[in-house]
Amino acid sequence: MEVPGAEDRIDQATFEQILEMDDSVDDRDFSKSIVYDFFTQADSTFDKMDSSLDAKDLKTLSELGHFLKGSSATLGLTKVQHSCEKIQHYGHKKDEAGSADITEEEALEKLKSEIAQVKKEFGDVQKVLKKFYKDES
Amino acid sequence: MTADSTTTTTTINTTTHTNTNTTTTVTDDRLSLEFFRHTPICTIILDASLVIRQVSDSFLDIAGLGSPTDALGLHFDDFVDRVAALPTLVSARKPLRNAQETLRPSELKHLDVPDGSAWNIRIVPILRHASLRYLQMELTDVTTEHQRQLDLEERLYTNETFRILVETVKDYAIFMLDPNGNIATWNAGAQRFKGYKKEEIIGKHFSNFYSQEDRDIDKPGRELADALRDGRVEDEGWRYRKDGSKFWANVIITPVYRGQTLLGFSKVTRDLTERRSAEVKLIEAYEEASKLKSEFLANMSHEIRTPMHGMLSALTLLLDTPLNPEQRELAHVIEESGEILLHVINDILDYSKLASGCFSISTDIINVSEILQTIHRAQEKCRKPGIDLQTYIDPKLPKAAEGDSLRYRQIVQNLMSNAMKFTEEGYVHVHAKLHEEDDEYYTILTEVVDTGIGIPSEVSGSLFTPFMQFDNSATKRYKGTGLGLSICKSLSELMGGHIGFYDNPEGHGSVFWFTAKMKKVQHVKDIDDLHEELEQLTLRTSTSPFEDVKHAAVGKKILLAEDNPINQKVMLKMLTSLGFRDIDVALDGRDAVALSIRNPPPYHVILMDINMPLLDGVGATKEIRNAGVQTPIIAMTANALKGQAELYLAKGMNGYVPKPVDRNLLVKILLSWLNSNAPSPTQLRATPSPPPVPLPSEAAPSNSPLPLAPLPSEAAPPNPPLPPAPSEPAPSQPTPSGPVPSEPSPSELAHSEPAG
Repeated sequence: MEVPGAEDRIDQATFEQILEMDDSVDDRDFSKSIVYDFFTQADSTFDKMDSSLDAKDLKTLSELGHFLKGSSATLGLTKVQHSCEKIQHYGHKKDEAGSADITEEEALEKLKSEIAQVKKEFGDVQKVLKKFYKDES
Repeated sequence: MTADSTTTTTTINTTTHTNTNTTTTVTDDRLSLEFFRHTPICTIILDASLVIRQVSDSFLDIAGLGSPTDALGLHFDDFVDRVAALPTLVSARKPLRNAQETLRPSELKHLDVPDGSAWNIRIVPILRHASLRYLQMELTDVTTEHQRQLDLEERLYTNETFRILVETVKDYAIFMLDPNGNIATWNAGAQRFKGYKKEEIIGKHFSNFYSQEDRDIDKPGRELADALRDGRVEDEGWRYRKDGSKFWANVIITPVYRGQTLLGFSKVTRDLTERRSAEVKLIEAYEEASKLKSEFLANMSHEIRTPMHGMLSALTLLLDTPLNPEQRELAHVIEESGEILLHVINDILDYSKLASGCFSISTDIINVSEILQTIHRAQEKCRKPGIDLQTYIDPKLPKAAEGDSLRYRQIVQNLMSNAMKFTEEGYVHVHAKLHEEDDEYYTILTEVVDTGIGIPSEVSGSLFTPFMQFDNSATKRYKGTGLGLSICKSLSELMGGHIGFYDNPEGHGSVFWFTAKMKKVQHVKDIDDLHEELEQLTLRTSTSPFEDVKHAAVGKKILLAEDNPINQKVMLKMLTSLGFRDIDVALDGRDAVALSIRNPPPYHVILMDINMPLLDGVGATKEIRNAGVQTPIIAMTANALKGQAELYLAKGMNGYVPKPVDRNLLVKILLSWLNSNAPSPTQLRATPSPPPVPLPSEAAPSNSPLPLAPLPSEAAPPNPPLPPAPSEPAPSQPTPSGPVPSEPSPSELAHSEPAG
């Protein structure tokens, strides 16, 4: 089951696994509910990220990154997942690979751009998924 | 003595009278005699022809003579030979002749005698009318004085040596401070480090070398106080030169006393700037290298293993399609090569991890007999015809011990594969025995005996060296990396044991053995409960793992600890689709602990997310284990590196699934924890027992005639029946096609280790 336009945004095998859980190929109730739950979860996480960024609360940002990383990985939304992982590292004041230390200023700087990036990645993949579920409203 | 003295006196009187013809009165003579006899200076009077004429009592004493008659009238030369107690007299001959010839007093000072004494000898010629009449010889014992002199010289020499040493040392600043901390001495090193000349700095306070901040907090003063209190103070820090530049110094200050009086302080300073920068560079280089290495390892696993697995899976599918014989053969060649390649990659990964020391041994609760049975079944599949494969298990082996099943299995498997590889006919036997047991540990000895080609003596020394293969001929018959045995060696050492080999005493072939220490388990009862439950399950030989897991899921209760609602929902759906009906969900680690530690333990398996609020998965596992609950815990982690997953295993978890959770992998792991480590009773009956072979066993008490139980009959009910006595009619030979779990065990999954 190909998701048109997914390219490298979605890991086919992982997403396929979710699709296989659908009881019926026609309505895709289960996977659709999961995906739309994710949209909601992502939106609310982004809101929390924004306010934590304003509050310079690195620890919470790292936790939020980890949280969304988990669910995006489950759905195979690779690009969102990778951005979230970076947010998790920056929140720990580590570089994007999680190995070298960076300063708090650097971390905040990188977080700001990465949060913008993750929102963009999410927007892209959201469009693809909505199209897939024939909901282009 | 009085009588003697009187006699002597008379004699001398006579002599004096006869020889000198003097007119001195007897009273005067007596006085001078008296005076002479009792002088404390050892004195001898000789006449011009060197005949002894008079001796003082003090001389008699030191010469060890009883009376003057022993000396008087003798020529000096003859006398000297007789008096052994006073070797110094021999040396007196020369000054004596000297005085005799020159008619001047002659003296010999600090005469060293081999017996350790020292003497001064003085000869005074006594003249009358310019001709020699007598020679007066005086001997003084100066041993004590002489010794003192020597000591003094020695000390002067030492002091001088030290002074020169200290002054010329250039790599250390060594100088003295007076009790107030003002500089008293200065050496070349101090001048070189600090830039001050001797005349510029002597008398100044040593706080000049410290930074303003250090001076503000009176660090120099405190250092002196500390040195006085502790007898020594050592410090590392920045010190300043005359030109204001700084250097990283190691400073040792020691107070110096003479008797009770404080003379001052010695101060030794080393310039560590270079060492410090070298250290910093070294640490940076090390961190960089280790980062590169872990990246490399991660890449290796990802970039090579993943496509290899893909390739091999595709090949398996290809082999299921209609192929002509030639295509089929080629496809098999690809499959075989691919599996060898995978093995090589795994070996190298293991080896680099062992070499870098980041290899951890986990401590699961394991049952050695069961592990051996699984290996036996796996090896049975690739047994060459004509080879008898047997596993003998000591009934005394613990049913539960803390060890690393994966690593134990890896060693046995490796040794067995080697044995199978190098044996064309005969047998491969595995013996596992309880070698030693103390309050805390079991030591388990495992031996693999084969009748293969054996080990040539010239390579036996390097057998466990990495990349060593004794079959290095151009027409290499046996494949492999040459890492296997060195990995086994490191692994057995990690498990507190040893590894070795000897020639098969029954002829050709070899015996490889290793020992492993396994900790005793505190909660054996729980384990037994768990085993009973597991044993009630029947392992069905079904067509697919999904079928298997659906059977295994019946009546099983699972706890899913996962905080992310989306992952929760997906996991629930996945588990439900696999046939699990009874699933509890914990939203955080605290919750998971509370749900799990009821009695009896409510769950058959716990799926545990690592990062959770309140208490993470590792912490929750620790609490569950501390409560004595040994339910299998499977970690779910998004941390990709294998090393991290092993860390979780080491923390008491039993397996792990990487996130995103792959359903096939989850099925395999669930199956292995629900099924494969407990063979069913039916299965046991299906495999006929081979005739038991009695074995001499160090672990078995010598008065017990019981043989070690051969494998299939020992396939482990918790209370194993006694192995059949050798006299019992022997059932048929072991069948190679005994039921084998259709799925690899978790260790194989974690490690993808093809046999061979």
